[in-house]
Amino acid sequence: MKDAAPRLVRLGRALRAEGVNVVLRDELDAAAALGLVDAGDRDEVYRALRVSLKITPPGLAAFDRLYPDFWSGTQEQPARPRNPRVIEAPRVAPRPALRWDPDTRTLHGGRAPGGEGDEPGASPAALLRRRELTDALPADVAAMERVLARLARRLATRRSRRLVPARRGQPDLRRSLRRALRSEGELLDLARRGRARREPRLVFVCDTSGSMEPHARFLLAFLLAVRRAVRRVEVFAFNTDLVHLTRTLAPAGLRAALARLARAVPDWSGGTRIGASLATFVERHAPAQVDSRTVVVIVSDGLDAGEPLVLANAARALRRRARRLIWLNPLLADARYRPEARGMQAALPFVDQFAAAHDVASLERLLPLLVA
Amino acid sequence: MRPEVAELVAALDGAGYVADAAIATALFLAGRLEKPLLVEGDAGVGKTELAKVLAQLLDTELIRLQCYEGLDVQTALYEWDYPRQLLRVRLSEGRGEDPRAVEAALFTRDYLLERPLLRALTRPRPPVLLIDEIDRADDAFEAFLLELLSDFQVSIPELGTLRAEQRPHVILTSNRTRELGDALRRRCLYLYIEHPSLEKEVHIIRRRVPEAEERLAREVGVFLSALRGRDLVKPPGVAETLDWTRALVSLRRDTLDAEVVRQTLGCLLKARADLEAVDGAAVDDLVAQAHGDGR
Repeated sequence: MKDAAPRLVRLGRALRAEGVNVVLRDELDAAAALGLVDAGDRDEVYRALRVSLKITPPGLAAFDRLYPDFWSGTQEQPARPRNPRVIEAPRVAPRPALRWDPDTRTLHGGRAPGGEGDEPGASPAALLRRRELTDALPADVAAMERVLARLARRLATRRSRRLVPARRGQPDLRRSLRRALRSEGELLDLARRGRARREPRLVFVCDTSGSMEPHARFLLAFLLAVRRAVRRVEVFAFNTDLVHLTRTLAPAGLRAALARLARAVPDWSGGTRIGASLATFVERHAPAQVDSRTVVVIVSDGLDAGEPLVLANAARALRRRARRLIWLNPLLADARYRPEARGMQAALPFVDQFAAAHDVASLERLLPLLVA
Repeated sequence: MRPEVAELVAALDGAGYVADAAIATALFLAGRLEKPLLVEGDAGVGKTELAKVLAQLLDTELIRLQCYEGLDVQTALYEWDYPRQLLRVRLSEGRGEDPRAVEAALFTRDYLLERPLLRALTRPRPPVLLIDEIDRADDAFEAFLLELLSDFQVSIPELGTLRAEQRPHVILTSNRTRELGDALRRRCLYLYIEHPSLEKEVHIIRRRVPEAEERLAREVGVFLSALRGRDLVKPPGVAETLDWTRALVSLRRDTLDAEVVRQTLGCLLKARADLEAVDGAAVDDLVAQAHGDGR
């Protein structure tokens, strides 16, 4: 195949524009593969490219869309390379925000009545909320950090199955023998090995919708403290959209972190699309963030405005992937509360632990669940 | 299609492995480009089987490393034979040998226990190295493997560097229980095996369970593709299809009926949620589909 290279480069670029991670090395592999297969066989070239560009199932749809262009390039052999076609990611139409009214305990569709403009971040009310966040936190955080200091110690005591040199544990013959050689073959002291300490991974997926607002500050303090105590924590927030917050919650400078946070979280009011947000999380982030030693903590009141089945499927997928799935529900603190919301009902079968999270004591009870 | 690819399909078929062109192309390219082949897909689509049949076709040894959490270099690569080394030290003591000479003698190939990865490098005839369920091993092992797969050489501190004379044919499998690192995938060629198409599955049943009549094989195939279309926790793989067909044959069935399906559904569905989801009405529906298409 003579001029495959420019077309391969275009294909690679178009794939990257669609979010498929293809690098130069893959393109080189593809070029080598094209040299080996029947260049006139459309299906064989397709198969060779899939194998050599390492197209995984999530990227397959984009690849299938782009392949006809690659192939037609093969046939016409243009004199000069066309400009690469840039494919834009499909835009999602903005959804009308839903609002939770805590007094009537109902969801309102459409925009918030009165005062608030189009962009939630620009309204005076939103600015006020931000100020509250930044002003009222440090005391909570201090309390949290005392709890979390304990958590950090306990989290660090989990053991992996991997064996490393240790003071106690089973004899390590390899090292013992090396030592024995120093003393002419006399085994004076036995080297030992024990199970490695294993760093845990925590992923928090937090609901920041209107109905969660009364608890938001407190939970934020908790998250900030967790972030400082445990190294591998990822935090996501959602109400109508999902946002990756880990960078925002960087441990340096609490106040600055809070200010950044207020900017990053889409809207501290508005409705909830728990199911859809979790499904997005499962699809986009779970492969990289969640593995069999990750504890996933969902923080939400379960008042979902969407289809319960979507939520149930997402919860099931997470349950299969994670070490443990914990659902923290601030409403659970109220003795009269029953998890009757449809979303909550749908998700419960897949949740390992369903616990309250409204004060320091309830979070303390959470510790053993996080380390178990 | 390259004649080599077509031949490979035929050869695989002759060895009892029903392969489509995608699988054969991937094997062909991996062999020609001398790259490891990473095979992903649901459980039971025939990933491990592919390595076995490749070894059979190449008439070479299959060396298998089953991965698990905590798998370490001593189990995967090499270990020294301590009891024999200690014995040697004891013997040399009586003779008053120079300790340095003893040490030199201790750390030679004689006292080296080869584990699968090292064995794959030192065979004179390149074997098929199957690194099975790599997603179960931890990141640290994956990083180690990366090094091995790029140079096909290992360093043993006491011995020096051992390099493969000829690269083994490497097949890695993963069930996608976790995403593998990008770097590892880049080192390999990549094959994703789907659940088989209806035609392919019927073909597999006929090949592997020759006692099953054509009609039953078809009905089973249609039933399974309809079943996999439902939202299941654990969709049945080809292994389950074959188990089930054998069960039906041993029950002397030549066609599906709702009753026998209900009794034997445990061969196919191995998650409680799935068994509950596929209830009586669903079975009737699936059987009707199988009959509708099966003739």
